[in-house]
Amino acid sequence: MGVLEVKNLSIGYRNKDQVKVIQHDINVSLEKGQIISLMGQNGVGKTTFIKTISGLLDQLGGEILYGGKSIAKLSKLELAQQLSVVLTEKPYSQNLSVLELIAIGRHPYSGWLGTLSSHDKEIIDWAISETHINYLANRKIYELSDGQLQKVMIARALAQETDIILLDEPAAHLDLYNKIEVMVLLREIARKGKAILISTHDMQVSTQLSDKLWLFNFNKPVVQGSPEDLILDGTLEQTLYLQDYGYDMIHGTVDLDQNGRSIHVTGDEKVVYWTQQALKRNGYRLEENAEVTVLANPNSWKLNVAQQTFELNTITELVSKLNDL
Amino acid sequence: MIHQHLEESKQKWIKVLISLSITMVFCFGLNLCFGSVSIGLGEVFDFFTSGSTGNNGWDLILRNFRLPKALTALLVGSALSVSGLQMQTLFRNPLAGPYVLGISSGAGLGVAIAIFLGFYIGGFLELSGIGRSWLLVAAAGLGSLSVLLIISLAASRIKDSVTLLIIGLMFGAASGAFVSILQFFSQAENIQAYVIWSFGSLGSLSWAELSVFIPILVIGLILSILLSKPLNTLLLGENYAVSLGLNLKRTRLLIIINTAILAGTVTAFCGPIAFFGIAIPHLTRMLFNTSNHLFLTPLVILFGGTLMLVFDFIAQLPGLETTLPINAVTALFGAPFVIYILMRKRNLNYSY
Repeated sequence: MGVLEVKNLSIGYRNKDQVKVIQHDINVSLEKGQIISLMGQNGVGKTTFIKTISGLLDQLGGEILYGGKSIAKLSKLELAQQLSVVLTEKPYSQNLSVLELIAIGRHPYSGWLGTLSSHDKEIIDWAISETHINYLANRKIYELSDGQLQKVMIARALAQETDIILLDEPAAHLDLYNKIEVMVLLREIARKGKAILISTHDMQVSTQLSDKLWLFNFNKPVVQGSPEDLILDGTLEQTLYLQDYGYDMIHGTVDLDQNGRSIHVTGDEKVVYWTQQALKRNGYRLEENAEVTVLANPNSWKLNVAQQTFELNTITELVSKLNDL
Repeated sequence: MIHQHLEESKQKWIKVLISLSITMVFCFGLNLCFGSVSIGLGEVFDFFTSGSTGNNGWDLILRNFRLPKALTALLVGSALSVSGLQMQTLFRNPLAGPYVLGISSGAGLGVAIAIFLGFYIGGFLELSGIGRSWLLVAAAGLGSLSVLLIISLAASRIKDSVTLLIIGLMFGAASGAFVSILQFFSQAENIQAYVIWSFGSLGSLSWAELSVFIPILVIGLILSILLSKPLNTLLLGENYAVSLGLNLKRTRLLIIINTAILAGTVTAFCGPIAFFGIAIPHLTRMLFNTSNHLFLTPLVILFGGTLMLVFDFIAQLPGLETTLPINAVTALFGAPFVIYILMRKRNLNYSY
């Protein structure tokens, strides 16, 4: 049985007498050790879904079960012991120390004045070492980079000792290095028995990190499955309307307007790949039998056009030469 | 590792709190020494240990004037500062203070009605001194209580805290307008009486009034320390606070009631005292560099009380008969100090 089970759930807004249903008959479940990415276009109901399962919005129908217990029967404190969140917003106070901020994660357990028991302290210690931020413990929040802050917020969620951690766009604002670091960290945490639910628009996060995708679409039921299955059967493409812009699911690249001359590129595999990227971006078509050919090797591009050969040293030079012809 | 960090920081804050308490007691003693007549620190000490300074005149001055005034100053300083802190954290707004919800405006309106309409009912100003002061207290208290009731009602219906803040500001504007209209139709001596009330005063409380004033404020101050944990949770922002299991509406209501009791009582007995409630929380955060309310709340209480004793000392112009209005003195001497600290710290946001 999953730690979170959603059965026939309807979500949306209730405004006086009017009920606006955004999604209905959602049937999904979340299990320990899994990372799940929630995807869909803006406005499709991802945030409404997240707010509903975290108890901030009332459900319009169906059931939300935490460990078999209905959300309606859980108090706010009990729910806080089931589900912790990492939001995109920064903490309001910038002058807390990292340690103080993580300690606030013990709110559902600590005493009247927020005093920490030795068990509380052990959990905080564990959360800090799990996220590898020991060296940050005494820093103030305003001293942290975005990547460091994200890890601190994940540590705070861990300190809340919940089975489920919900993250909203965990990789937003992060550079590639930090994004990978956060992804690896989430993978480690999931392996240790947490269920992780991510709401994201990032293809890398959703396809490489998650075990399953939950796809939200307009006027269609919510689909779930492994990222690879959903890519192969075209569901992901349809859900995100990627075909509109010639998105290449295999390479994760976009084919921009290609109406120009056709070119054939041969040579070193890696160099060929990046040369093709540059040519596609500049509107050239890639074809086997093209009249124009390029022999691409590290630091050397040989361009053949109408029996003429040009030796070029960079891709920039190659592109500007082609544009001049 | 964490155990050690937490233990060290706890030890550090206990030391800070103890030294601040000692400073406060010292300032309290000094405050008792000076006035139109100077009394030695030794004599003041005797007064507390043996019940007499050995000089009947001095005993009288201490018992009937200086001690009530020093106690008032101490509690007023603590109460206004801590309620300002609560409002700033609740509304996540550095400009918030104890009066941001319209509590002083409500009190002002009550007093204005009592003074201006009392004139028409007849003989109000002829009431004896004591009866009159109680009437003003009742009027101000009723005024702030009605504002509290309306704001609490709004707080239980409104989700967004900033909306609440704006409702409070609107209250202030509306009651200010009403007071202006009352003044427009009033006689000069009534306007003067109102203006004098609005100057604020720490020295007008009798022991009878203090017997009401002290218990209410002490309870309010204790409650504010008990609110440290939810206030800390609010430091992450309302969404995080709710995700941690905080009952936002109930917490907000408790904080508002607590602030209203503290600021409302102070205003009822001493008149509106501006500046303090906004400035002291900032000063405390910047000087002691912490946002953790478990430490910050007691620090603000001690620091606010101590500073008010100092300002009262300045206001009574040692050696002279005259006392300046406390409302003016706090802002006049406090504002440059706050500006200095701000210039040195540069970024106010980092001290939150």
